[in-house]
Amino acid sequence: MKSLFSLSCKTATYLVSLKEAGKISWMDALRLRYHLAICTFCKRFEQQTSFIIKHAKHEHGEERLSDNVKTKIIQELNTLEG
Amino acid sequence: MSKTGLNANEWVEKYGDLLLNYTIKRVNDRLLAEDIVQETFLSAWKSRDTYKSEASEKTWLFAICKNKIIDYFRKKSTQPVQFAEVDTTAGYFNDAEHWTNSDGPKDWAIQFQQPIERKEFYGILGMCQKKLQQLQQSVFVMKYLEDFSAEDICKELNLTSSNYWVLIHRAKLQLRKCMELNWVRL
Repeated sequence: MKSLFSLSCKTATYLVSLKEAGKISWMDALRLRYHLAICTFCKRFEQQTSFIIKHAKHEHGEERLSDNVKTKIIQELNTLEG
Repeated sequence: MSKTGLNANEWVEKYGDLLLNYTIKRVNDRLLAEDIVQETFLSAWKSRDTYKSEASEKTWLFAICKNKIIDYFRKKSTQPVQFAEVDTTAGYFNDAEHWTNSDGPKDWAIQFQQPIERKEFYGILGMCQKKLQQLQQSVFVMKYLEDFSAEDICKELNLTSSNYWVLIHRAKLQLRKCMELNWVRL
Protein backbone atom coordinates (compact mmCIF):
# COMPACT_ATOMS: atom_id res chain seq x y z
CA MET A 1 0.00 0.00 0.00
CA LYS A 2 1.16 3.44 -0.83
CA SER A 3 1.91 5.66 2.09
CA LEU A 4 -0.58 8.36 2.89
CA PHE A 5 2.30 10.73 2.46
CA SER A 6 3.42 9.66 -0.95
CA LEU A 7 3.10 12.40 -3.51
CA SER A 8 4.28 12.59 -7.10
CA CYS A 9 6.52 15.48 -8.14
CA LYS A 10 3.88 16.61 -10.59
CA THR A 11 1.31 16.89 -7.81
CA ALA A 12 3.81 18.37 -5.39
CA THR A 13 4.74 21.20 -7.77
CA TYR A 14 1.04 21.82 -8.37
CA LEU A 15 0.41 22.02 -4.63
CA VAL A 16 3.20 24.59 -4.25
CA SER A 17 0.96 27.16 -5.98
CA LEU A 18 -2.03 26.26 -3.82
CA LYS A 19 0.13 26.67 -0.75
CA GLU A 20 1.40 30.02 -1.93
CA ALA A 21 -2.21 31.20 -2.34
CA GLY A 22 -3.24 29.81 1.04
CA LYS A 23 -5.66 27.40 -0.63
CA ILE A 24 -4.08 24.12 0.40
CA SER A 25 -5.84 21.66 2.72
CA TRP A 26 -4.01 20.78 5.93
CA MET A 27 -3.56 17.20 4.79
CA ASP A 28 -2.02 18.26 1.49
CA ALA A 29 0.14 20.80 3.29
CA LEU A 30 1.50 18.03 5.44
CA ARG A 31 2.14 15.76 2.47
CA LEU A 32 3.83 18.60 0.61
CA ARG A 33 6.06 19.45 3.54
CA TYR A 34 7.13 15.88 3.79
CA HIS A 35 7.77 15.63 0.05
CA LEU A 36 9.79 18.87 -0.07
CA ALA A 37 11.95 17.65 2.79
CA ILE A 38 13.08 14.66 0.80
CA CYS A 39 12.85 15.82 -2.84
CA THR A 40 15.65 18.13 -3.98
CA PHE A 41 14.06 18.76 -7.39
CA CYS A 42 10.77 19.95 -5.94
CA LYS A 43 12.49 22.00 -3.27
CA ARG A 44 14.45 23.77 -6.00
CA PHE A 45 11.27 24.23 -8.02
CA GLU A 46 9.64 26.00 -5.09
CA GLN A 47 12.64 28.27 -4.46
CA GLN A 48 13.29 29.10 -8.07
CA THR A 49 9.70 29.82 -9.04
CA SER A 50 9.19 32.04 -6.02
CA PHE A 51 12.37 33.88 -6.97
CA ILE A 52 11.09 34.43 -10.52
CA ILE A 53 7.71 35.63 -9.28
CA LYS A 54 9.23 37.99 -6.76
CA HIS A 55 11.25 39.67 -9.48
CA ALA A 56 8.60 39.50 -12.21
CA LYS A 57 6.77 42.38 -10.63
CA HIS A 58 9.47 44.94 -10.74
CA GLU A 59 8.70 47.72 -13.23
CA HIS A 60 11.49 48.49 -15.58
CA GLY A 61 12.01 49.08 -19.21
CA GLU A 62 13.85 51.13 -21.71
CA GLU A 63 11.46 50.98 -24.60
CA ARG A 64 10.56 54.27 -26.21
CA LEU A 65 7.62 55.25 -28.36
CA SER A 66 8.88 56.21 -31.78
CA ASP A 67 8.35 59.78 -32.89
CA ASN A 68 5.94 58.54 -35.54
CA VAL A 69 3.70 56.87 -33.01
CA LYS A 70 3.86 59.86 -30.69
CA THR A 71 2.90 62.25 -33.47
CA LYS A 72 0.06 59.99 -34.52
CA ILE A 73 -1.33 59.85 -30.99
CA ILE A 74 -1.02 63.60 -30.49
CA GLN A 75 -2.79 64.25 -33.78
CA GLU A 76 -5.61 61.93 -32.82
CA LEU A 77 -6.00 63.61 -29.48
CA ASN A 78 -6.08 67.02 -31.09
CA THR A 79 -8.78 65.99 -33.56
CA LEU A 80 -10.91 64.98 -30.57
CA GLU A 81 -10.65 68.52 -29.26
CA GLY A 82 -14.19 69.81 -29.33
CA MET B 1 -4.75 73.38 -24.32
CA SER B 2 -8.08 72.13 -23.05
CA LYS B 3 -10.15 73.71 -20.36
CA THR B 4 -8.85 71.27 -17.77
CA GLY B 5 -5.35 72.43 -18.47
CA LEU B 6 -4.24 69.20 -20.03
CA ASN B 7 -2.05 69.29 -23.05
CA ALA B 8 -1.83 66.44 -25.54
CA ASN B 9 1.86 66.91 -26.28
CA GLU B 10 2.85 67.07 -22.67
CA TRP B 11 0.83 63.99 -21.84
CA VAL B 12 2.34 61.85 -24.54
CA GLU B 13 5.86 63.06 -23.76
CA LYS B 14 5.47 62.54 -20.05
CA TYR B 15 3.61 59.24 -19.91
CA GLY B 16 3.96 57.61 -23.32
CA ASP B 17 7.14 55.65 -22.64
CA LEU B 18 6.08 54.69 -19.12
CA LEU B 19 2.80 53.29 -20.38
CA LEU B 20 4.55 51.52 -23.22
CA ASN B 21 6.97 49.70 -20.91
CA TYR B 22 4.18 48.81 -18.51
CA THR B 23 2.12 47.35 -21.35
CA ILE B 24 4.93 45.49 -23.10
CA LYS B 25 5.72 43.74 -19.85
CA ARG B 26 2.15 42.49 -19.73
CA VAL B 27 1.38 41.62 -23.32
CA ASN B 28 4.90 40.89 -24.56
CA ASP B 29 4.24 42.36 -27.96
CA ARG B 30 5.47 45.77 -28.95
CA LEU B 31 2.98 46.59 -31.71
CA LEU B 32 0.05 45.46 -29.64
CA ALA B 33 1.41 47.48 -26.72
CA GLU B 34 1.59 50.60 -28.90
CA ASP B 35 -2.06 50.14 -29.85
CA ILE B 36 -3.06 49.76 -26.22
CA VAL B 37 -1.13 52.89 -25.24
CA GLN B 38 -2.82 54.83 -28.01
CA GLU B 39 -6.27 53.61 -26.92
CA THR B 40 -5.40 54.53 -23.36
CA PHE B 41 -4.62 58.11 -24.34
CA LEU B 42 -7.75 58.35 -26.46
CA SER B 43 -10.05 57.07 -23.71
CA ALA B 44 -8.38 59.24 -21.13
CA TRP B 45 -8.60 62.29 -23.36
CA LYS B 46 -12.30 61.74 -24.00
CA SER B 47 -13.07 61.45 -20.32
CA ARG B 48 -10.63 64.10 -19.10
CA ASP B 49 -13.46 66.35 -17.99
CA THR B 50 -14.59 63.77 -15.48
CA TYR B 51 -11.11 63.53 -14.08
CA LYS B 52 -10.90 65.79 -11.07
CA SER B 53 -7.40 65.37 -9.74
CA GLU B 54 -8.65 63.06 -7.03
CA ALA B 55 -6.00 60.60 -8.02
CA SER B 56 -2.80 61.68 -9.60
CA GLU B 57 -2.87 61.97 -13.35
CA LYS B 58 -0.37 59.17 -13.63
CA THR B 59 -2.39 56.78 -11.45
CA TRP B 60 -5.48 57.60 -13.46
CA LEU B 61 -3.80 56.90 -16.80
CA PHE B 62 -2.32 53.64 -15.55
CA ALA B 63 -5.71 52.52 -14.28
CA ILE B 64 -7.18 53.09 -17.74
CA CYS B 65 -4.25 51.28 -19.34
CA LYS B 66 -4.59 48.34 -16.98
CA ASN B 67 -8.27 48.00 -17.89
CA LYS B 68 -7.38 47.95 -21.57
CA ILE B 69 -4.90 45.16 -20.94
CA ILE B 70 -7.43 43.10 -18.99
CA ASP B 71 -9.95 43.71 -21.80
CA TYR B 72 -7.46 42.29 -24.21
CA PHE B 73 -6.93 39.21 -22.02
CA ARG B 74 -10.68 38.80 -21.73
CA LYS B 75 -11.18 38.89 -25.48
CA LYS B 76 -8.36 36.42 -25.97
CA SER B 77 -9.82 34.02 -23.43
CA THR B 78 -13.11 33.76 -25.29
CA GLN B 79 -11.39 32.32 -28.31
CA PRO B 80 -12.36 28.64 -28.31
CA VAL B 81 -8.95 27.28 -29.30
CA GLN B 82 -7.52 28.09 -25.91
CA PHE B 83 -8.21 24.91 -24.07
CA ALA B 84 -7.21 22.69 -26.88
CA GLU B 85 -3.71 23.71 -25.95
CA VAL B 86 -1.00 21.11 -25.80
CA ASP B 87 0.62 20.41 -22.48
CA THR B 88 4.24 21.08 -23.28
CA THR B 89 5.22 20.33 -19.71
CA ALA B 90 4.00 16.71 -19.77
CA GLY B 91 7.45 15.48 -20.75
CA TYR B 92 9.04 16.97 -17.65
CA PHE B 93 7.76 14.02 -15.63
CA ASN B 94 8.07 10.29 -16.07
CA ASP B 95 5.29 7.69 -15.92
CA ALA B 96 5.26 7.80 -12.14
CA GLU B 97 4.93 11.61 -12.42
CA HIS B 98 8.31 12.24 -10.89
CA TRP B 99 10.86 14.56 -12.47
CA THR B 100 12.93 13.05 -15.21
CA ASN B 101 16.66 13.48 -14.63
CA SER B 102 17.03 15.74 -17.62
CA ASP B 103 14.11 18.02 -16.70
CA GLY B 104 14.42 18.09 -12.92
CA PRO B 105 15.36 21.55 -11.64
CA LYS B 106 19.12 21.98 -11.47
CA ASP B 107 21.05 23.73 -8.76
CA TRP B 108 21.15 27.35 -9.94
CA ALA B 109 24.04 28.07 -7.63
CA ILE B 110 22.84 31.59 -6.90
CA GLN B 111 22.07 33.38 -3.69
CA PHE B 112 18.34 33.97 -3.85
CA GLN B 113 18.64 37.05 -1.67
CA GLN B 114 21.28 38.71 -3.79
CA PRO B 115 20.36 41.52 -6.17
CA ILE B 116 20.23 40.44 -9.76
CA GLU B 117 21.61 41.82 -12.98
CA ARG B 118 18.31 43.46 -13.80
CA LYS B 119 18.44 44.33 -17.41
CA GLU B 120 19.47 40.88 -18.50
CA PHE B 121 17.06 39.11 -16.16
CA TYR B 122 14.03 41.07 -17.37
CA GLY B 123 14.95 40.71 -21.00
CA ILE B 124 15.08 36.96 -20.66
CA LEU B 125 11.99 36.78 -18.45
CA GLY B 126 10.07 38.75 -21.09
CA MET B 127 11.24 36.37 -23.78
CA CYS B 128 10.22 33.37 -21.65
CA GLN B 129 6.82 34.89 -20.86
CA LYS B 130 6.24 35.41 -24.54
CA LYS B 131 6.72 31.70 -25.13
CA LEU B 132 3.85 30.81 -22.82
CA GLN B 133 0.54 30.01 -24.41
CA GLN B 134 -1.76 33.02 -24.40
CA LEU B 135 -4.03 31.96 -21.58
CA GLN B 136 -1.12 30.95 -19.36
CA GLN B 137 0.41 34.31 -20.00
CA SER B 138 -2.79 36.19 -19.13
CA VAL B 139 -3.22 34.21 -15.94
CA PHE B 140 0.40 34.68 -14.94
CA VAL B 141 0.27 38.45 -15.48
CA MET B 142 -3.05 38.92 -13.69
CA LYS B 143 -1.92 36.83 -10.75
CA TYR B 144 1.70 37.82 -10.27
CA LEU B 145 1.95 41.29 -11.79
CA GLU B 146 -1.49 42.63 -10.98
CA ASP B 147 -2.29 40.68 -7.79
CA PHE B 148 -5.77 39.60 -8.82
CA SER B 149 -7.28 36.86 -6.69
CA ALA B 150 -7.77 33.42 -8.21
CA GLU B 151 -11.54 33.94 -8.02
CA ASP B 152 -11.41 37.23 -9.92
CA ILE B 153 -9.16 35.80 -12.61
CA CYS B 154 -11.55 32.86 -13.10
CA LYS B 155 -14.44 35.29 -13.39
CA GLU B 156 -12.71 37.68 -15.79
CA LEU B 157 -11.33 34.97 -18.05
CA ASN B 158 -14.24 32.60 -17.64
CA LEU B 159 -12.18 29.71 -16.26
CA THR B 160 -13.04 26.95 -13.86
CA SER B 161 -10.98 26.85 -10.71
CA SER B 162 -9.22 23.65 -11.75
CA ASN B 163 -8.39 25.11 -15.19
CA TYR B 164 -6.91 28.07 -13.41
CA TRP B 165 -4.59 26.03 -11.18
CA VAL B 166 -3.48 23.88 -14.09
CA LEU B 167 -2.60 27.03 -16.07
CA ILE B 168 -0.65 28.50 -13.17
CA HIS B 169 1.17 25.22 -12.68
CA ARG B 170 2.14 24.89 -16.34
CA ALA B 171 3.14 28.53 -16.62
CA LYS B 172 5.51 28.14 -13.68
CA LEU B 173 6.95 24.87 -14.95
CA GLN B 174 7.70 26.42 -18.32
CA LEU B 175 9.00 29.74 -17.07
CA ARG B 176 11.33 28.05 -14.64
CA LYS B 177 12.68 25.75 -17.31
CA CYS B 178 13.10 28.59 -19.77
CA MET B 179 14.94 30.73 -17.21
CA GLU B 180 17.18 27.82 -16.34
CA LEU B 181 18.10 27.33 -19.98
CA ASN B 182 18.59 30.98 -20.85
CA TRP B 183 19.44 32.96 -17.77
CA VAL B 184 21.19 30.71 -15.31
CA ARG B 185 24.84 30.11 -15.95
CA LEU B 186 25.20 26.46 -15.14
